[in-house]
Amino acid sequence: MFAIKFWQTLARYSFCCVAFCVCAIANLAAFSSTAFANTVINSNSKSNLVINTQQQSRWQQVQTLGRNQDVYFYAWGGDAQINAYIQWAAQQVKTKYNINLVHVKLSDTSEAVSRVLAEKSANNNNQGSVDLMWINGANFATMSEHSLLLKQWANKLPYFALTDPANNPAVTFDFGLPTNGMEAPWGQASLTFYYDSIAINGKANNKLPTTLNELLNWSAQNPGRFSYPKPPDFLGMSFLKYALVVLHKHSSENIKAQLNQPATTKNTAQVLNPLWDFLDKLHPTLWRGGTHFMQSGAQMRRLVDDTELSLAFTFSAPEVPAAVKRYDLPNSIRSYAMSDGSLSNTHFVAIPYNASHQQSAQLVANFLLSPEAQAQKQKAHIWGDKSVLIQSTLTPDEQALFKTAKPHPSALPLNSIKRTLSEPHPSWVNAIMQGWQTRYGVSQ
Amino acid sequence: MSVISKSVQINTKATTQCSTDMFTRIVKFSPRFLLALLILPVLGGLISVLLPAFGYAPVLEQTTFSLQGFNALWQTPGLTQMVTLSVATGLISTLLAFIITLMILAAFFNSPWLNRIQRLLSPILVIPHAAAAIAVGFLIAPSGMISRLASPWLSGWELAPNGMFPHDSFGISIILGLTLKELPFLLLMALGVLAQPELGKKLRQQHKVALNLGYCPMTAFFKVILPSLYPLLRLPLLAVLAYASASVEMPLILGPNTPPTLAVAIMHWFNDVDLNLRIKASAGALLQLAVTGGLLALWLGAEKAVKVLFSDSLTNGVREYGGFYWQKITVVLTTLVIGFILLSLIGLVMWSVAGFWRFPDAMPEQFTLLHFKSALMQMSSPLFNTLAIGLVTTLFAIILTLLCLESEQLSDKPISRFTSLIIYLPLLVPSIAFLFGLVWIQQLVNNQAAFFNVVLTHLLFVLPYVFLSLASSYRRLDPRFAHVAASLGAAPCKVFFKVKLPQLFAPILIAAALGLAISFGQYLPTLLAGGGRIATITTEAVTLANGASRRTSAVYAIMQMALPLIGFILAWGLPKYFFKSARA
Repeated sequence: MFAIKFWQTLARYSFCCVAFCVCAIANLAAFSSTAFANTVINSNSKSNLVINTQQQSRWQQVQTLGRNQDVYFYAWGGDAQINAYIQWAAQQVKTKYNINLVHVKLSDTSEAVSRVLAEKSANNNNQGSVDLMWINGANFATMSEHSLLLKQWANKLPYFALTDPANNPAVTFDFGLPTNGMEAPWGQASLTFYYDSIAINGKANNKLPTTLNELLNWSAQNPGRFSYPKPPDFLGMSFLKYALVVLHKHSSENIKAQLNQPATTKNTAQVLNPLWDFLDKLHPTLWRGGTHFMQSGAQMRRLVDDTELSLAFTFSAPEVPAAVKRYDLPNSIRSYAMSDGSLSNTHFVAIPYNASHQQSAQLVANFLLSPEAQAQKQKAHIWGDKSVLIQSTLTPDEQALFKTAKPHPSALPLNSIKRTLSEPHPSWVNAIMQGWQTRYGVSQ
Repeated sequence: MSVISKSVQINTKATTQCSTDMFTRIVKFSPRFLLALLILPVLGGLISVLLPAFGYAPVLEQTTFSLQGFNALWQTPGLTQMVTLSVATGLISTLLAFIITLMILAAFFNSPWLNRIQRLLSPILVIPHAAAAIAVGFLIAPSGMISRLASPWLSGWELAPNGMFPHDSFGISIILGLTLKELPFLLLMALGVLAQPELGKKLRQQHKVALNLGYCPMTAFFKVILPSLYPLLRLPLLAVLAYASASVEMPLILGPNTPPTLAVAIMHWFNDVDLNLRIKASAGALLQLAVTGGLLALWLGAEKAVKVLFSDSLTNGVREYGGFYWQKITVVLTTLVIGFILLSLIGLVMWSVAGFWRFPDAMPEQFTLLHFKSALMQMSSPLFNTLAIGLVTTLFAIILTLLCLESEQLSDKPISRFTSLIIYLPLLVPSIAFLFGLVWIQQLVNNQAAFFNVVLTHLLFVLPYVFLSLASSYRRLDPRFAHVAASLGAAPCKVFFKVKLPQLFAPILIAAALGLAISFGQYLPTLLAGGGRIATITTEAVTLANGASRRTSAVYAIMQMALPLIGFILAWGLPKYFFKSARA
């Protein structure tokens, strides 16, 4: 009898508890959405203020208007190190400007592009959910083509001058397209290779390949130990572009020039045929005989850890020692750069045209360009992404921030990139992708 | 006797008609609310896919209707292979899961092993598909656990060999993953049916009678239990079939990609940088709809055929079909399945604490808690979101389900076939076909309340499961209790709270645990409806599974398993404890 009473009371209490929790959660949700709405209203009333106080300089206005708000930063979130760096940046802008930087982790940047597009189609032109996004290459080309980006702001950021834009096309052109102030440079990346030094032991027939041609020979002698992510994966496309540029090294100037111009029906066959000839030879020697390709660079890294692959490549060299430290790659991994050139590009941050917190996003972008943030980012144990700032524009104190400690054995040795190869015109990405899809997309 | 029951009936009718209190009105209104909640998003989503499929997409400055999307679709290289792969993996995995479920039930019916097997398998139910796929992939890969256990002493492999699993072009890995994942679900549904006091008791008694008449236990199951059991399993089976033919996570991780399954290809087209591919993707979504619809029709047709073919053998009096050997085969099969699952789980746990772990080693070189530490540091807000969304969604789903079932009893007629079909609509329509459209609508209506959008979208997937697991128990409540209470003058409200709910304590808890598990596991709906702003353990895990290390994914997978598992343990443990102490 007592037991029944006890359980009845308990059931009643737990029911009350659940009800209370639901109320609390509902309140919290309602509170956060009203808080959000308030900030939107605030920013709207503030933007009226802009017109009234035109005597203030532009940047001062951005500073006054941008404080105390949320910034939703849509950025690829597949790397723990990069995520940690963004968290560090979030703490910095919190103390500097009281900005809440929220990292929205994407598995593919095109998700953010789709989102902005969906908002445009729903006529949401000033309350977009994306405030700032990490972008370059084809995604930038798409967004600028569809006018989805805020224009002429990046070139007015105070720290942008430190990139020496007049003499540094790397920060004003994104894959050959002019950025027109739609995106602020964030970092520079080069295609770096890494290998398992136990598997590639330097014996005859198993020497480390340092050119594209050696790679083909090595793969023929050691079948199934190399592959690349399936296009349209960014890294897989980068490998194909590297191959394309290297294959055209000895072509006539006329054909080389085509690489920096849009792909047309006329020049496509001429430019891409050497690539298909090369891949026809390479594919039978690849992992799974070239009938299956991995989905991403991260999966490629996992396969190196599984010893299925012996050689792989990445666009962010520091990810390799970081992965070794996290046990995600074996100790025997070494990094190097190809001697026939490393494909290099710049990555940027951009603000969608309908961003809710445009001024705050500019404050964040400016902070990400600061010597402090760029130096932190270049540290091998933080992220190791190459700075976009030009050293000669910095004060000695600022230059001192970039001094580095002794690198990890698996890290890319300093100055190993002897020559860089620039990215071809973004339209080639599509041309390569479609050609690849028809030739290799369906295995026989 | 008949007079008494008649008067009781009149009495109840009188009470229902007289009382127009708040409770009754809410109850009466609830089925309509439920219908609107389910139909509008799905239909709206479908229309928002239908229009672009026929070339109408104002965003892309396409405002004329045309068939260009379909033309582009037909010209896609390997389209036939994609469709074949989707059909084959969906059908075979569902069939396998169903057959193994039946064999386990038949061989272990009335045996304590049935519950033990169920308890061993149920953790799989709550592992999200992506995590399960990774675990399975790790087992069967050339560098996987099986290969490690045989190397180098047997195989002589110092480096991982060239293999064909996972990603084999026949889809065997997908079938394996899907079968292992759906088997526990079907088993739980079947056991849920058998756990109903009335029906379960009746079936067990009939089974005993058959045994006494000299039927072999397995034959008795197939001839006596199955004909009553199958109609109650039909909808879960169709849901499994629809899911398997259109799922994204499993084929993405385990399947081939030259070409992938249709659903994966559609997802890639939807997410492609080239926005014009949206039109082709929408056309593809319609094709997926047709494929899934065709499969469902095929299943229903096959069901009819089986019924016709085997109706004679039900009554032919044959007692024995080699039951002894079938029993042995089932034991071996069950051991294999459980061994496979255990090995994957062990692998998962080892990865979560592994240091360096080079190929032929069966054990990691060192163990570390680094992966747990770094994951837990970033887990607090996803964890809160997961729990909050899950609890709100499940609570809402259970209340709505109970109200609808109550209205069914108050109005004294069962929910129409149409309504019951609608309830399962979100499970039968491939989510890839309507989710993108649904997000577009949510954008149009309210784009700031991300939490609300996510809960609403989760509800689409949670509600059917909760309804599925609660409806049969509710309908089989002994109506005499309610009649007696009503004849003693209790209002419908009081009958509902004081008489019906206490009897439903156990089924409600199970439904809640199931609802939570379903909500916890949602990836695509959370990602799309939340606009990526609402991070849950599952979205984080899938992002990491695509991007980072197997070790971190293992940590997240373990977290994902732990959460719903606690729910299920409570759901099974509480009623036992409750009733034991009540009896004492």
